[in-house]
Amino acid sequence: MPVNLALGHVSNDFLIAALVIYSLSVVAFAGDFAFGRPRRAGSAARGQQARERAGALAAVGAASVAAAADAPPDSVVGPPGPAGQAGVAAAGSPAAVPDSMPEVAVPPLRAIGQAGHWVQAAMALAAVGVVAHTVAVVTRGLAVHRAPWGNMYEFVTALTCVAAIFFLFVMVRYRAWTLGVFVMGAVVVALGLAETLIYTAAGQLVPALQSYWLDIHVTAMTLATGIFFVAAVLGVVYLTVDRYNRRVAAGRAEPGNGIVRRLPSLEQLDRLTYRTIMFGFPVWTFGVIAGAIWADQAWGRYWGWDPVETWAFITWVLYAAFLHARATAGWRGRRAHYIQLLGFTSLMFNILVVQVFIAGLHSYAGVS
Amino acid sequence: MTDVRAPEADPFESAAEQDDRETAGRDRPGRGFSLADWLKWGWRQLTSMRIALVLLFLLALGSVPGSMLPQEGTNPAGVQQYYASHPALAPLLNHLGLFNVFAAPWFAAIYLLLFTSLVGCVVPRTFRLVGSARTLPPRAPRHLARLPRSAEYGTALAPVQAVEVAATVLAGHGFRLRRPADAGEAWLSAEKGYLREVGNLLFHLALLGVLVSVALGGLFGYKADRLLVQGTTFADTQSALDEFYPGRFVSATDLGPFTITLNQFDASYISSGVQRGQPASFDAQISYTAHPGGPALRDNLEVNRPLSVDGAKVYLIGHGYAPVFKVTDARGQVVYDQPTPFISGSSGNFLSQGVVKVPDAQPEQLGFTGVFVPTAVEVDGVLESVFPAADHPVVSLIAYAGNLGENSGIPQSVYQMDTTGMRQLTADPQVLVPGQSLKLPDGQGTITFTGYVPWVSLAITHDPGQLPALICGLAALGGLLLSFMVRRRRVFVRVRANGPAGGVQSTVQVGGLTRTDASGGFEDEFASLAAELRSAHDQAAANSVLYKRSRYAKNPAVAGGRLSAPIARAGPKGPHSRVGFA
Amino acid sequence: MAATALAGAALAVVLLTGWATGGNSGVTDVAGGTSAVLYQAGHRPLAPDFTATTLTGAPLSFSSYRGQVVVLNFWGSWCAPCRAEAPALAGAAKQYRPAGVDFLGVDVRDTTASAVAFARNFGIGYPSVSDSSSVITLDFTAVVPIAGTPTTLVIDRTGHIAGAVFGPATYQELTDILAQVTGKAAGGSP
Repeated sequence: MPVNLALGHVSNDFLIAALVIYSLSVVAFAGDFAFGRPRRAGSAARGQQARERAGALAAVGAASVAAAADAPPDSVVGPPGPAGQAGVAAAGSPAAVPDSMPEVAVPPLRAIGQAGHWVQAAMALAAVGVVAHTVAVVTRGLAVHRAPWGNMYEFVTALTCVAAIFFLFVMVRYRAWTLGVFVMGAVVVALGLAETLIYTAAGQLVPALQSYWLDIHVTAMTLATGIFFVAAVLGVVYLTVDRYNRRVAAGRAEPGNGIVRRLPSLEQLDRLTYRTIMFGFPVWTFGVIAGAIWADQAWGRYWGWDPVETWAFITWVLYAAFLHARATAGWRGRRAHYIQLLGFTSLMFNILVVQVFIAGLHSYAGVS
Repeated sequence: MTDVRAPEADPFESAAEQDDRETAGRDRPGRGFSLADWLKWGWRQLTSMRIALVLLFLLALGSVPGSMLPQEGTNPAGVQQYYASHPALAPLLNHLGLFNVFAAPWFAAIYLLLFTSLVGCVVPRTFRLVGSARTLPPRAPRHLARLPRSAEYGTALAPVQAVEVAATVLAGHGFRLRRPADAGEAWLSAEKGYLREVGNLLFHLALLGVLVSVALGGLFGYKADRLLVQGTTFADTQSALDEFYPGRFVSATDLGPFTITLNQFDASYISSGVQRGQPASFDAQISYTAHPGGPALRDNLEVNRPLSVDGAKVYLIGHGYAPVFKVTDARGQVVYDQPTPFISGSSGNFLSQGVVKVPDAQPEQLGFTGVFVPTAVEVDGVLESVFPAADHPVVSLIAYAGNLGENSGIPQSVYQMDTTGMRQLTADPQVLVPGQSLKLPDGQGTITFTGYVPWVSLAITHDPGQLPALICGLAALGGLLLSFMVRRRRVFVRVRANGPAGGVQSTVQVGGLTRTDASGGFEDEFASLAAELRSAHDQAAANSVLYKRSRYAKNPAVAGGRLSAPIARAGPKGPHSRVGFA
Repeated sequence: MAATALAGAALAVVLLTGWATGGNSGVTDVAGGTSAVLYQAGHRPLAPDFTATTLTGAPLSFSSYRGQVVVLNFWGSWCAPCRAEAPALAGAAKQYRPAGVDFLGVDVRDTTASAVAFARNFGIGYPSVSDSSSVITLDFTAVVPIAGTPTTLVIDRTGHIAGAVFGPATYQELTDILAQVTGKAAGGSP
């Protein structure tokens, strides 16, 4: 079936549009940092004070304070929970029967309304951008009559689309607006590189790739890479905040940095990253298994230590090391995130260097 | 009873932390410790999480040279080239096993140690899981407010009743319960989520299964290659195969007795546009018999579409051109007349090279080195191929005469010629089009380029470990998902009797926690559980009020609807009656 | 303790796999080592029958050789070790003709022009059948482990394989085996 070049051009136009709209959303997120309502500072302090109160009131047995001390990550924004106030109230009137029930999560979309104009604008732009991006990916697929991840350009555009959608979901679910500038910024950079450096016109696939396994294996790898992309950005944010905190503790930096104050706490970032990787790791595992099944169909063996296979294995081992590190005393926190970033580096190395420059059975990047 | 332990040990210390604690706690054996102590210490170190981490890093690091350097198994020509371009470095790398990393002993040591560590960790944990699945959850702690999740509210029910209501709710959610031995106490422990550890163990054991499956394939499987020219047949026997790599327990008689004939091979390429020259399709039409004398069946071999026959799979791996040559020697006898496979290697557009060796030409042995160009264009005096299909094929030959070196009996490659014992007959390469002949000087003979036929390369493999590896891989994935999605968690309920205060007879405390290595998400579940417990208690209280109203309707204190006096503890049947709620 | 035993067993499995996955090397190298084998009476596999075309185009049925001792030589003109052993075979064929031993060649994976040139070059007087598809070799590999070319089999009068040389045969090996099988020394009269 011949390639529909007109539709290919449409796809490219939508991609450029997505790029521009994402850039605007990054500007809006940055604007939120600069001009938005200072919400985070209060709740960070509240978190700290709540902990101190919890210790003091534990003797009195005020159950409410425990609930406030370990606030769920979605209380990045919003009015102080009733728990905190109830705890104070309980201390004041010991004769009353204490009554504290944990909050059931507030529907997340409602929180956007309280997040301020900058965030609303940024989210709207990001949502429109995601729609344009998805249209670009879909029309590319329609243009070439197959799943649109057959060469590196298509792969990068698809994985950034996955990353953007996944991250929008994470932001809305956990109200982590302040992370928007970092992740969407990374998406913009990746897409820009894709457009300029590795653009490939829509075309047919070599016979070795003409198999329904393309839809299964590369789709899984695209999804997993998009998810790991988000985790990597979150990891960088974690390490930055962690470094800042350590410098403050060592007296080498001023406390109260405006950007850091607005970001989620280290523990929340860590948990978010962990959950993201927990989502991506099974998908990556499935992708490797699907790749092995396809390799057996095409090349006669399910594992031959082809360079791309080897680096996919290395990536898998490094993310497995991350999961182990989180369960090992002394390796949680900063070191675990180093491992996670090392894993993502090996993933990117696999895509950008190994597939292009190292000869092997996997050299289908299509990049000349 | 009082709780004398303070502070309470975390009832959910992760097993990993326990391991680390135990490992860290025991110091390295010093003087006065026996060999057994050292071995025990060593074993505990090996099976600790820390060492597992280190081994994982080593595994990742060790794989890197396997992808950067050419490897013997997949790219022997590349290894030769590396030797040529790095003469000093290459022998050192070879000594370290870096040209065959994945079969090297040190790499094997890493993954074997890792799996030993895995086994040493997983097996005790399996026993521990079975044990904990058989023991009841621990007693409810005294101060539930100190747990990560807690809730507190009042209820009109008596403590023991309230505990019963809670038990029903939690049992309905699939929790395993533990009630106090003493009937007078009012608490409840509930635990759920054993599947998480099951998934974890399944994942790790399945990885072990993958390793065993790979070994199985290595022991009982084989790989073989064969180049087949269009129009020819081959039988699957060791001497007819170009390469044969049997597993340790495989002998040549394990090869399936099939024969395959390549009837036709077609390759099509994209002829215009940006992708000009890129292959569009390959198609090998074959006929085969599963055993001698069996019926001849037809099949189409394509990439991604192997043939299954006699327990083996036959794959179409590559293809090329075999120009046909006819050589007449000085005495006028036809001494060579066959297609000669030429190999393109990594040259673009199937520019292929090969040799024609004619050892039985009289009086002198003849040899030719040749380049076959499918679509030839001359660029600056050099022939280049601009398209992979044979649109305009030519062959360029250099002729030699002398001693090919074959009579000594040392086997030679059919694709290479040793010209040290030969003299070149033609000064320049001679270009021939199909049908053209080249007359050799001094009446040495003639070579005619009669045409060309395609050849395919087939891979024949048998791997009995393939299906087990797949099953274990999928089991590992299933175990992984289980361990990620299921949380091991405990919920405790303690009910304390208050003095009567506006109808609230008891205070219910609910506490919950998950294992320390859980990811979160328990907050929502706990919140909804607490809400459900509260509404169940309210419902039960309302029912028992209704019951009491109907039973004691004549009681003026009750008839008014407002309960001002403490309600009698239970219905007529006693403290544990379930009167009052369905 | 059960746990230790189980762990030990699993460890043994792991070590076994290490041994198994290593050492999967080896293209079988025929020319490097020759092994000459004699099969004692009663342990001789039956040679399969075949019909094929000789290099001159005539049909030939192997069963017609029943009742004679036959030396069956698998060779190819492309095969360097075959060139090394060819004089020995040609010589032995002449030596044992009076004793009633027939020599027959099986030309494997070869073409007629090159094969005829080879026979002419080395003075091979006995016929060869063409086995370009290796089907005859396949049949014989089912009863004796033919790993490559050249391979020489000595078949007794009852059609059973009495001796084999896997690899290039020397004159000495050929005559030793033939002496055993025929009960006569080289060149001796019946």
